[in-house]
Amino acid sequence: MEEDSPRPHVDFHQGTVRLFGLSRRFVEKALADIPLAWDERDDCFRTDAMHADAIRQGLEHSLAGRLDWQVGRDAGAAEFRPLAINDLRQVTLRGDQEQAVKAFETGGRRGLVVMPTGTGKTVVAIELMIRYRCSTLVVVPVRDLMYQWHAKILEATGIDAGLIGDGVHRVSPISVTTYDSAAIHMPRIGDRFQMIIFDEVHHLAGPWRSDAARMSIAAIRLGLTATLPGDDQRTERLHHLVGPTLYRQSIAEASGKSLADYSVHRIAVRLTDDEQQRYRDYSLQIQTFVYQQRQIDPKFKWDDTYALSAATKQEPDRARDAVIAMRAFRLKRQIEEHADAKLRMLEDLFRLHCDESIIVFTGSNVMARKISTRFLVPCLLSHCGKKERREWLAGFAEGRYRVLVANRVLDEGVDLPEVKTAIVLGGLSSQRQAIQRLGRVLRKGAGGRRARLYEVVVEDTREVTRSRDRRRNEAYRPTR
Amino acid sequence: MIRSEHSIVQYDFQRMVVRPDRLHRSTDADYLPAAKQMLRIYRDGIGSARQALHGRIESCLNRLSGCPPRRIAAFCKLLDDQSEYHSDRKAVLQLRRQVFDFAADRHPIVEHREGIFDNEIQQVRSELAAALGRPWPEIEADLFRDVLELQRLEKFDSSLTPAQLLAAYNVAQTQAALYRATRVRIDASEDFKTIIRHAKLAGLMHRIDLVSSAKHPRYRFIFDGPQTVLRQSTRYGIRFAALAAKLLALKGWHLTAEVLGPRKQRFRMDLSPADGLTSTLNAPDAFDSSLEAEVDAAWQKAPIEGWIWQRESQLLVRGQSVMTPDFSLYNQQRNLLVYVEVIGFWTPEYLEEKSRRLKEFATLLPTGSRPVETPRWLLIVAKQQEADLQQRFADLQLPIIGFDKKTKPKSWIDAIDG
Repeated sequence: MEEDSPRPHVDFHQGTVRLFGLSRRFVEKALADIPLAWDERDDCFRTDAMHADAIRQGLEHSLAGRLDWQVGRDAGAAEFRPLAINDLRQVTLRGDQEQAVKAFETGGRRGLVVMPTGTGKTVVAIELMIRYRCSTLVVVPVRDLMYQWHAKILEATGIDAGLIGDGVHRVSPISVTTYDSAAIHMPRIGDRFQMIIFDEVHHLAGPWRSDAARMSIAAIRLGLTATLPGDDQRTERLHHLVGPTLYRQSIAEASGKSLADYSVHRIAVRLTDDEQQRYRDYSLQIQTFVYQQRQIDPKFKWDDTYALSAATKQEPDRARDAVIAMRAFRLKRQIEEHADAKLRMLEDLFRLHCDESIIVFTGSNVMARKISTRFLVPCLLSHCGKKERREWLAGFAEGRYRVLVANRVLDEGVDLPEVKTAIVLGGLSSQRQAIQRLGRVLRKGAGGRRARLYEVVVEDTREVTRSRDRRRNEAYRPTR
Repeated sequence: MIRSEHSIVQYDFQRMVVRPDRLHRSTDADYLPAAKQMLRIYRDGIGSARQALHGRIESCLNRLSGCPPRRIAAFCKLLDDQSEYHSDRKAVLQLRRQVFDFAADRHPIVEHREGIFDNEIQQVRSELAAALGRPWPEIEADLFRDVLELQRLEKFDSSLTPAQLLAAYNVAQTQAALYRATRVRIDASEDFKTIIRHAKLAGLMHRIDLVSSAKHPRYRFIFDGPQTVLRQSTRYGIRFAALAAKLLALKGWHLTAEVLGPRKQRFRMDLSPADGLTSTLNAPDAFDSSLEAEVDAAWQKAPIEGWIWQRESQLLVRGQSVMTPDFSLYNQQRNLLVYVEVIGFWTPEYLEEKSRRLKEFATLLPTGSRPVETPRWLLIVAKQQEADLQQRFADLQLPIIGFDKKTKPKSWIDAIDG
């Protein structure tokens, strides 16, 4: 550094970190591993806020006493103060939870902990929060989980954590937010937390949500998930944004120990004659469309249909046919999803398990409402307000309601009372959704009785293929 | 604004240009009567569920050849934006509570009575209807009335004409194409101050270059965000879309956007007043204060030969701060540029901010290297404020002129030279 150059300073700016008053030569030498870019708009070097801690460490040595570090309001090193966090917990960590905590500690306090649903990932995270006593932001995928984390933090520490999302914007040193709210607000709050916990961390891998990690200066980063993304590229991105996989427990390891034992039963139902006829007609329409398109363009795939439907100016005839084929596809899916036989099968299963609590997962909100209206049972959908969700969950936990219907809202992480029977109707083929859904019925309760997952699919339809895709995962292997 | 999933764009892979969907009077004449019908569907649809209205719009547009689903969804969104839907969450939650609590002890409710299960569906529904004092079909219709697609239209007071609805669609599609933009460039010859103001309101960062002479200034603005130097980010796309809507009310601009297309390829999108898109905003106010208007009128009445008087034609840029003097005077013969700032208000906060801004910018050279003498400044204040402001702004050491209706522009030139 030149003796007469201005005093170097570093600040946080809208989810990035700016470095002023440093020469290129110095930066290349002292901060070689950090992807810094020169920003002529502000005459500074700039990088993502997630590198703040590495920058501080890199500059501390070479610029000791001469660096003006202006990063972080609550979280900055200069203002670092341990938070007063009481430990009001009544629980003792299990062996596997202790192992996860230890792996995180020894792994540099940055990384992923992979544990199946129901094995107490939250317990691990709260243990770390209490140990570190620093400002912490918990990022969760859905609003239910936000309130659930809030309740758990309150129970474990007595702290009324801040909430950012669902129309609330109350930022506190310990706060909980959703991924979407985090991505939106991180340019303004990214400098306020020393620790960040990503619950269901696989949600972070998308480009927009990645900003929730990039724009935070938090040095301590914990990612929790039951399943890492299927493709290496997305996993690699999580490793970059949060840290390496530090602890991993498979469902097979957890089953029978921290999870209940389980079995999967697939039940095939048939379409009615009328449904079958309409299903065939729509299938034929789609096949004819694809055949005709391949005559025009041999490389044509069904996936190209949506884009083709918008090409009304360039190829009006093909676009019109694409619109008709898409409509046929939608109606075909509706027949699968809403098949009468599914409701009849549900009735049979409700009779069979009439004394048990049952969760029904559907592939659409419409089907969830249809079941709710047919059997007069509560359904949890995204339209439900906080109060209503709590009410149905509490009623379900008390056994007042025997059945709870849900579309995607309960897929991940939302804590439920002991449930030994679940029924899946339709749904997507993604393995993650399958594991999360299975996780909901695997919670170990008193007695450790074997849990059952029923999967109701319509014979001779695409649902069978989707079910097969789901069952490729280890979580589904013990199918009968 | 419509959502990104409603966006329809056409990519020209040869020229790497992207064009948003646009309905034209000549080629899409069928849409005008359809727009009239769509507005009628909403005006006559009070009390209908959102999904029913959307179904009617779909039927209406499906009659036109090749109307894509996204276009239908976009029209539904635009019409919904003009609507008010009823959602009495409390009442609906209360109904659900009553229904589910009533049925809780009757689980499982079966189609036909059999064995130990004697809670038959029709029977339970009748009992429920009797308990709530409402017929079952009504209970069924209201049970999820708060769900978005089942909410009922309460009010549609839109004054949009069919042509305006189509114009709004064209603007909305243009904005939606910008959601995927990573950076925009605007070349402008007028309304610089308004452009900067809207870009600031949208939270964008800028680079500004003067691209022509002091006589006829023309600026190039490049707008993006903090992350842009690190990666191609569409994070600021929605801000560009907001800015573009504001531009439509202005004159003399050309926008070029870098848009991320399939496989992250970079496409160009152009937009200018020549596209004929109409704004719902009014053109910016001519003057910020009445004093400013009077000063301008005084010059127009008695201009001084050899001097060019222009309004808000110069930008002074200091990093991410920008100042636009109210007027500039340029003397070509003397190669002299003068910034004229009118101090038209007198609240303490305004004067304090004005003083701070003048201190920041008074010593700054104009944007771009131009062979002019160091620009000079002239502050014009209301005559009755002159003494007070001479004192308040004394440390700026800039000439200050008191203005009233008798003041002649000649005295301003004298003050500059004095």
